[in-house]
Amino acid sequence: MNKVTASSATLRASTPYGFLLPALLVTALVILFPVLQTAWFSLHDYILYDPDNSRFVGLRNFAVALSDEVFWIALLNSAIWVTGIVSLQLLLGLVAALLLNQSFWWRGLARALVIIPWALPSVIIGLMWTWIYDFNLGVFNDILLRIGLISAPHPWLAQPSTALACIMLALVWQGFPFFTVTILAGLQTVPPELYEAAEIDGASAWRQFIHVTLPSIAGIVATAVLLRIIWVANSLDVILVMTGGGPGYATHTLPLYAFLRAYTGMEFGYAASLSLMLTAILLGIVWLYVRRQTGELEK
Amino acid sequence: MERRTFMKLAGAAALSFEAARPAIAQGKTTVRWWYHYDNPQNTPASLVAKFEAENPDIKIQAEPIPWGGGTDYINRIFSALVAGNQPDCAMVRLSYLSRFGQMKALEPLDGFLANWKSRSDISDNVWKINRSPDGKQYYMPLHYVVIYLYYRQDLLQQAGLQPPKTFDDFLTAAKALTRDGIYGYGMRGGAGCHDNWGPFVLGGGASFEKGGMVTDKALAANRWFVDLALKHKVVPPSAPTDAFRQIVDAFKAGRTGMAIHHIGSAAEVVGALGDKVSAVPVPRGPDGSGWTYFGDESNAIFAGSKNKDATFRWISFLSSAENNAEQAKLSGQLPITISDAKNWTVHPKRFVEASDASLPIAKPLPDHVKTPDFVGRVLPTNLQRALTGGMNPDDLMKAVEQTFHG
Repeated sequence: MNKVTASSATLRASTPYGFLLPALLVTALVILFPVLQTAWFSLHDYILYDPDNSRFVGLRNFAVALSDEVFWIALLNSAIWVTGIVSLQLLLGLVAALLLNQSFWWRGLARALVIIPWALPSVIIGLMWTWIYDFNLGVFNDILLRIGLISAPHPWLAQPSTALACIMLALVWQGFPFFTVTILAGLQTVPPELYEAAEIDGASAWRQFIHVTLPSIAGIVATAVLLRIIWVANSLDVILVMTGGGPGYATHTLPLYAFLRAYTGMEFGYAASLSLMLTAILLGIVWLYVRRQTGELEK
Repeated sequence: MERRTFMKLAGAAALSFEAARPAIAQGKTTVRWWYHYDNPQNTPASLVAKFEAENPDIKIQAEPIPWGGGTDYINRIFSALVAGNQPDCAMVRLSYLSRFGQMKALEPLDGFLANWKSRSDISDNVWKINRSPDGKQYYMPLHYVVIYLYYRQDLLQQAGLQPPKTFDDFLTAAKALTRDGIYGYGMRGGAGCHDNWGPFVLGGGASFEKGGMVTDKALAANRWFVDLALKHKVVPPSAPTDAFRQIVDAFKAGRTGMAIHHIGSAAEVVGALGDKVSAVPVPRGPDGSGWTYFGDESNAIFAGSKNKDATFRWISFLSSAENNAEQAKLSGQLPITISDAKNWTVHPKRFVEASDASLPIAKPLPDHVKTPDFVGRVLPTNLQRALTGGMNPDDLMKAVEQTFHG
């Protein structure tokens, strides 16, 4: 091989890296640097209003978190929050997608309408549902009173027993269209021949759903669930607007607790350690997903 | 024209424009000012226009920042300070002074004030309250409010009761007014709850001094306050998370008979209830002492400002006679200047009188680095737990004590 051919081969081999480099640099700047900075903060007693006296404390922030009552309350609430919201959104999204996959004359309009909650900003969702649940003026109490389900207004967001469930309901309403749209896209890729064959074999609608539809959309559903778990686990804006984490710690989730310690207490070191613990949990879930997908591909 | 010649000319033109820009900009100094008003629709545009007409070399960039019970506002200021993107000046409160001091974030105003002619139009007492523990003056007083008690005079008259002066009077009135879906007192347990908790607990004998939250008297006062919800049930069940908007709306809608707030909401409640509503100072404690929140508001110049002279001209303009009155109209609060306060007719007289009568017991929150955390997190969270029966009220007081004294 002569010199010219060798250098052109090197150039050709390095071209993809050259194209990737800007993206890698931007990724490093906007993702890697903040993550490393957060990790660095988590090892320090870093108070935002007293940055000059920041000191290295090793893993102490993590140890403090593990013995912090509020951390465990927030972790439990986070588990309830993610499990409840994602499963209800999936169920509602699946039902809506199956309905919107049917043929009816206003299907186009219905598909457009179902997107509305997803398109609204979270702060608007929070404010809207706060007023729906309002003790004095809320439409929720009004409806329940009119149909006789309750005899007096209930303070939905002010009682620890109902506050978390009420916020979850608001987020279920906001997020189910994501599943609807994703699953609907998946349903449209299922070959009609499969249903025809199933029908010839005498399969009922339910059996067609179980043996044709679900296996065909399983990959899409798994990806959508993973994405929603990550988004829902990190979401705090609706809670912040509706209750601020209250009453007491009733609606504290892990990201909200980290946010409050960071921006109200200005304890950035401690808040960083809480955030890293949440990140570790989410990375575990992603790892499980990736392992499952790799297994599927190898089959 | 050849393409190359055109490119050269275009480049030269662009460069000459860039070179000319600083010269134009040098003529006008921009002052960034962060502010908040209870009514977000109010805008300081007319004050800005007046100032800019009087000071053609200065441009004011007034940026409204959401208040969020105080927490959002102060968080943004501290975040901006750390990020180095703070405005030149902002509205601030005394309870933030320690944190600003720790960050060395503020510019002392003493040098500017020495030459400011209108200084004597603000009372010496106000200057004294606003002075930093290091003896310097960092705050330019702007306006003030004091928390008092709104009450429905028609409902109290129907019940044959006088406006409450003591805790016992208050409880009697609250019980009498609680009926038919109306609650005696619209308690604020959500954001900003310190101004409802303070009059009864600090007025009942608690204090921010070391050990002051856990004396027998302090614990008893806090239990009494929590019992308004748990035992006597004279507050709406939504009280644990009710904040400014909820308590004012419930009072306006006739769902509560008494509410604790300041003159900033007078126009709103009078608009809904007319003469049916009046105000008195918050009730006094069992031993005759009392406490109400002195809601101060000042302007401060940040040390990082590159336009300190222009910034002082702006903040001193806002605290000068006539301008200060305009500013108080926008904020819904009371002017700080002696000349504007004299014959103040913007608010109905009875609310101004209630504010004045509250001054002897009015105090700001302590100037401590932990005060914003106490206001934004510690008190609301623990008070809500106590009000919903999830925490012993005494533990709430221990949490407050620990916040300030470890």
